Order: sequence, then C-alpha cells, then structure tokens
Amino acid sequence: MNKTIQKAEAIAYRKKCEVNGTGLSHYILMQKKGK
Amino acid sequence: MSRKSTIIAAPSRGRYANTGNGPSLQPIDIGHDTYVGLVDPDTAFWSLVRKDKLGDVIAGSDLLSQYRKKSAAFAQEMEMLRFKLKPSAVYFNPTERCNLNCDYCYIPEEMRKNGEHMSEGDLLEALAILKSYFRKTLPKESLPQIVFHGSEPMLNREVVFSAIERYQNDFRFGLQTNGTLLDDAAIDFLTSRGVGIGLSVDGHTAEIANKTRHNWTGEGSFSKVLAAMERLRGYSSYNVICTVTNQNMQSLCQIVDFFHSCEVPVCMLNPVRCTQSGAQNIKPSDNQLAKYYLAALDRTYELFQKTGRRLVVANFANVLIGIVAPTARRLMCDISPCGAGRCFFALSAKGDIFPCSEFIGLPNFKGGNIFTNDLAKTLTSEPFSKVTGRKVENIEPCRHCAVRHFCGAPCPAEANEIHGSLDSVGAFCELYEEQVRYALRQIADGKENAFLWDGWDLGTVTTFNLSTP
Repeated sequence: MNKTIQKAEAIAYRKKCEVNGTGLSHYILMQKKGK
Repeated sequence: MSRKSTIIAAPSRGRYANTGNGPSLQPIDIGHDTYVGLVDPDTAFWSLVRKDKLGDVIAGSDLLSQYRKKSAAFAQEMEMLRFKLKPSAVYFNPTERCNLNCDYCYIPEEMRKNGEHMSEGDLLEALAILKSYFRKTLPKESLPQIVFHGSEPMLNREVVFSAIERYQNDFRFGLQTNGTLLDDAAIDFLTSRGVGIGLSVDGHTAEIANKTRHNWTGEGSFSKVLAAMERLRGYSSYNVICTVTNQNMQSLCQIVDFFHSCEVPVCMLNPVRCTQSGAQNIKPSDNQLAKYYLAALDRTYELFQKTGRRLVVANFANVLIGIVAPTARRLMCDISPCGAGRCFFALSAKGDIFPCSEFIGLPNFKGGNIFTNDLAKTLTSEPFSKVTGRKVENIEPCRHCAVRHFCGAPCPAEANEIHGSLDSVGAFCELYEEQVRYALRQIADGKENAFLWDGWDLGTVTTFNLSTP
C-alpha cells in the first residue's frame, strides 16, 4: 500500500461523520463508554 | 444618492486556481522528499501533490475538478462544525480545594488552599438543572457529559460518588484527578460504572514528575499516582495527561516509553497552559518543544512497530483526525472558535459558570451562576460571546495561515493573559505548524493509522478520495 501511495501524483481523502467532539485538553473523551 | 449595499457576484467562472472564483489552494512545505501539501484553508481541504507535478495539478487536473464539485459542501461542513454546535459537556468542579500545589495550576492559589467544597444538596441541584437544560437542547439519544474536574474532585469524594450513583442514567461521567486519593474502593466504584478516569503524571521518574506536581509542603505525588496507574492497568476508559514544561520536555521519549510499559491506552502530551504566572515561568520554548514532541511521536510509532500495541497521543491524534475527518475530532481546543462556551462550559464549586476551566481564575469571564441565572442566557452572555466569537480570521498571522483550521490558535484564556487580547495568537504556534506538517508526512507515507486508535473512523463516510497513479 505504501509503495502505491508514494508513487501517486496526488493523494487526498476526507471523511465525515456526525459531530460528537466535546472535550477540552484536560480530559479525554475518546471512548464512547467505559467497559 | 444612496449606494446599493448588494454584494455583486464576480463574473469569473472559477476555471483557474487562485484567481477569481477559482479554488484557493496554497502549497505548503511539509518536509517530505516527494510531496508538498496543497491546502484550501477556508474549507480545510488538503491534498498531497508530488513536487514535480505541482504545476500540472494547479493548471488543471482530476484533483482540481473533483475539488470544485465538493468545495461548497466542505465549506458548509466547516461552518457547521465551527458555528452551529450546542454544548454537550460540562467541566464540573465539585470543590475549590486541592491537596496538591502544582507549579502551573490555573486555579488561583487562595481558592485551592482555603476554598470550599460544594455541598451534596448544591451538587445534586446543579445536576438537576443541567439535566433539564440538556433534555431541551440535545437529541434524546445523546447523553450529555459531566467531567468532575479540579482543583481535586476526590477531596469531595462522597458527594461526587453520590451524584454519579443518582444520575448514572442521565449523564456520561468522567473524573480528572491527580490520582493521589484513588484507593481500591474508589477505583472499584468508578470502573464498575464505566466512569472515564484521567490521571496527571509529568514524568517517568519521581525526580522529573515531582518537579512540577507536589503537595503544599513540597512532597511529590509520583509514587501515589504510580500506584493508581497500576490499579487501573487494563481499564479501557483511563488515560494519562502529561503537562509539558521546560522541566520535562527533554524527557518526552522516556515518558512515552514509561506510559507504554504501564499499558496506558491513551495519553496527552499537553503543552502547559500559560494562563497564570506560575505556568508562564516554566513555559517551554515553542521550537524546542516541537522538536522533542515530534521525537516522542516517532517513539510511539517505533513502539507500535515493535510490540503491536499503540500508545495514542490524543492531542496529536486529534490534529491528525482534524485533517482527515474534521467532523470526527474529539477534542475541541484546536479548532476556531474553540469549544469553550459553545461545545462545553465549566462550573465552579460556587456554581459560577465560565466558558472553560481555564477561565475560572479570571472573574471577568464569569457568565453567570447556575443557581441564580438562567443557563441559556448565561451561555449567550457577553463574557461567553467574547470567547465564542474569537476566530482565526481576526488574528494575525492566523488569517493568512494555510493550516489555520487544523490548529485553531488555542487557547483564548492563555492568549488573553499572555498578550492582553483574546484576538491574539496562541502560545505554541510553531508546535502546531510542526504537528500539521508531521501529520501530512505520515499520510504521505501511509502511516497515519499507527497514530490513531482502532475504530476511530467507525460511523464515518468517505466524502473525497483521490489517489491518482
């Protein structure tokens, strides 16, 4: 995969989802819920 | 004679990049042998173009034609992300007091030393008000988040635990703690209820960690936090924050090794927020910090290659996600306007409401009080509007910067205290420049997933995909 990407003339991609970012840098809200 | 104020549309058909109505694409050096970055700053669109093909791409290409079709949608996406969100989290200080006296704390010393705990009655009433507010503003399936924060929330343990017990079906709870009071019973209570736990550790040895994190008599906290880290080993909703100062930046690679060996799933390497003078005194130089920080990121990559287990550096991961999937970002400091007052707000132990915890020591930014003022009005008060209105378009040199929406010029409280104005640049501009360049290099080499957690893109859809041979 890396070799193919490195030879590409251009690379670009973008993803989208519903926004759920809420955190500030003091606390991490990465997981949806603890186990 | 009156003038017409109507905006006249330019007749340009947008056929050319960087003129008329054509897309604005700024090339940026990312320090890569093969690729340069090509970025539309306003839509946060990025691409990587082979250096020997840049002229061809600008002159007309598949990339350009595909981007033209998407640029309006990307602009709309950024507009929504930057200006249309509603608060869904509260940083809740259940006490003013702290058993530690860390050098860089943004809570005023008098408050931490002689302040008061919030009573159980007040805390439960505050949560009832918040529950009622969020029920009106958030979708039914969305649980608002309460993060008990400090000062040290575990000093008011019984009241905090009582609140978690009472409201466990109404909020997602988290606890940011210095870790010194986390005994087995506390950890059992918190982990059995899925409460997120954040610890603070500034070094891999007592000598380094205790330089900045110690109690009022100077005794370091490292050994107690280390014991808490051992107890939390294996718990998925646990993380460690390392505040980076001029006292520990040289040790970031060893700190990463240490966290990885302790099986910390996620850490943050946060440059110290220079809101108060204690923090300003130990501020690392921006360019030196960038060098050590990137070396630490390299180290996490090496560890992943060697062991197959990641240590995610969440603040870098967030910058990386802000590039490849702007709406999937989790942390809302490095976006403009930042999340303060618009995605989250902070509640002091007296019930006072501020846009963010960083403002708790700055009385001019108090928006109201949860017990005496209407919450919705508080969130649109003048102090809140000042912060939520701070945007990179009004800041030099950010308004010209190609990576302004990958950085966001954090943080307003810090900028205000250092430079005397909210509309001034953040304290770590070069660190963000280097993080974005580093992130784009990882993408160029197909290595970006090594820096992100498994499943980070669940629920996302691909809206642009180009990889021309």
